[in-house]
Amino acid sequence: MLRRAQCLLRLHSHGRQSVATLTRHRSYSTDEATPKQNPSANPNQRAQKPARNLPAVRNPFAAAQDRTKDTYLTMVEIFQERDVHRRNHVEFIYAALKNMADFGVERDLEVYKALINVMPKGKFIPTNLFQAEFMHYPKQQQCIIDLLEQMEDFGVMPDYEMEAMLLNVFGRQGHPLRKYWRMMYWMPKFKNLSPWPLPDPVPDDTLEIAKLAVERMCTVDLRSKVTVFQTSDLKDAIDDTWIVSGMSAEQEKLLREHSRQKALYIEGPFHIWLRNRRINYFTLRADPDTQFLAQLDERQLDDDDVSNIEVPFLGRAPPRRHNQLGKLRSVHQQDDGTILAICATGTSTKDSLLSWIRLLEANGNSSIGEVPVLFRFTSTVPAKAEEIEGPASVPATSNARSSKDESPSSRRE
Amino acid sequence: MNNLLRQGQRLACWLPAAAQQQIHTTAVQRTFWEREKKSGYKTKLPEPSKKQLIMDGLKDLKEEIKLWRKEVKEQFESDPILVFRPGETDVVFDFKAPNVLDNWTVTTDADHGEGKSTASLELSSAGAGLFHGEVNSDHTKDGIIKRTGYANIRTKRVRKSFKRESTYDWTQYNMLIMKVRGDGRSYLINLHTEGYFDLMWNDIYHYVLYTRGGPHWQIAKIPFSKFFMSSKGRVQDRQSAIPLNRVTHFGFSVAAKKGMDGPFGLEIDYVGLQYDPSHREEFAYEMYQTPKYIVAT
Repeated sequence: MLRRAQCLLRLHSHGRQSVATLTRHRSYSTDEATPKQNPSANPNQRAQKPARNLPAVRNPFAAAQDRTKDTYLTMVEIFQERDVHRRNHVEFIYAALKNMADFGVERDLEVYKALINVMPKGKFIPTNLFQAEFMHYPKQQQCIIDLLEQMEDFGVMPDYEMEAMLLNVFGRQGHPLRKYWRMMYWMPKFKNLSPWPLPDPVPDDTLEIAKLAVERMCTVDLRSKVTVFQTSDLKDAIDDTWIVSGMSAEQEKLLREHSRQKALYIEGPFHIWLRNRRINYFTLRADPDTQFLAQLDERQLDDDDVSNIEVPFLGRAPPRRHNQLGKLRSVHQQDDGTILAICATGTSTKDSLLSWIRLLEANGNSSIGEVPVLFRFTSTVPAKAEEIEGPASVPATSNARSSKDESPSSRRE
Repeated sequence: MNNLLRQGQRLACWLPAAAQQQIHTTAVQRTFWEREKKSGYKTKLPEPSKKQLIMDGLKDLKEEIKLWRKEVKEQFESDPILVFRPGETDVVFDFKAPNVLDNWTVTTDADHGEGKSTASLELSSAGAGLFHGEVNSDHTKDGIIKRTGYANIRTKRVRKSFKRESTYDWTQYNMLIMKVRGDGRSYLINLHTEGYFDLMWNDIYHYVLYTRGGPHWQIAKIPFSKFFMSSKGRVQDRQSAIPLNRVTHFGFSVAAKKGMDGPFGLEIDYVGLQYDPSHREEFAYEMYQTPKYIVAT
């Protein structure tokens, strides 16, 4: 009760019309409110002045000032305690559902339960076969079905208390119960299905999301290490930002063995989604080692080829090349390039990427200093790539900063 | 229900304004019978002239006879694959094949003016198929459409010569193998098993394709036993394992649900099938005995 009073005060704290709004909000619909405010008014008088008619149902949620869960629950409480009949409770629940996101309670099971609690208990339970068959109180049932659907959309899983509440309102034959049982069958099955689980909710901090994203991309190689660099560690970096870099021991080895004559490319920005968050990332890529990949293909024997069957009685055939020990193909050696490292930076600028290369060089990859590194801001769509390649659409290559960026790479050459 | 309302709306467009006030324009539908497979979403395209039809028909005839000859030859040769070696992937949809994009249809919610998503399927620089675009959950608030924001690709109906519809027969396999490169989003894999009756026209078996994201390719191996049935986007109460001899289409969907509006990109190298003898599961979901008159209502 005390909380209610406090919240009411907070709700209508703006001075001069506080009392007026209080009465208006507490009386949920004007059809009821008008007789209360001026009991002498008869229907004829009201009909004469249609312009002053207020909407039939006022939405108290839209008028609330303090948008917190407490206020929300208090408003539900106020509605419940207003009178015994709880008129317009279906409209109230729909209005409440619509405004959940504004109050930040759309993922809160407690709030959904409070809304179901608005429904009267026992009144909607069918008492005979015909009522059960023909959806007793259809508006009310549909309202709760919509509520459950909203829960489903936001991924809120109901609990057994909700089942008890629904049973009390609609009985075993109620359609909301069917919906509830379906949800309780399927939702736990799908909830933890993802092989790359994410915290719920996903953190708001960009650095945290970037760390999650790079970690996720690095799951391809278990030996990957994710490091967070600060560009402020470097002497003459323009941007002061963070760089989340992911690289494995195998990638370091590939980088060490990379020919000094062949260029490396920094490509991007590509994006990765973590639930509803999107993060841009860049890759350090080398052209595919075609010679090595072709050699691998040579090693593969055609099992269906019957023209040259080994007969063990006729002496052993001289060892073929595929029997010799050779280098194994790394997971990073893809058909369309060798991925050497992945990063996400706080600013996604050319300068931060240059800092990334310098930081990699300082942290145990000294060979990167001897290899030319080229920037290639591309897209996977060929048409789009051409568009970016064009001089007009890439401001980075035409301004003064880019020439500054290119100088270190030319130095390396 | 949407279908009903749409029909009602269309009818209302034809009627003069005066008549609209008196006549209730919602079409009365007394049964659940469906007129055609698109459930009211069939786009009426202008029919070509009769001369054009004959010319196109003759052109098609040539190709169809070629196809038919192949079928007859196969029948006589009678050399079907009987042994499916474990661990060997048989590629069904290969994006390296020529003219592969002709086999796919791209649809979004914008096709019928119900949303604003865009999507296309093209070949990427890596030579794979790239399903990309932008999903958008905004839509015109017409009071009928509640939720939008999807993009979808689907193969064309598998058929025999002379445009006779047929189905894939994948009964020998139990795994779906895909080499994909995604963007961290999860995609929906759709296996359509269109039936003969209108009730079965929208039977689709779904499962989720979680993509890792990043520059590396990923090979997803999904058992067919995990697929569950739905119809018109609703998971059905009466479930069963997918009838692999009745698969008619294959496709992927992506949605803008839970604030995931924005660009997406799924690169597909191939979709294949595999037989894995160590996987014995027939259907992953337990089948409870449910109370009477509750299921499928």
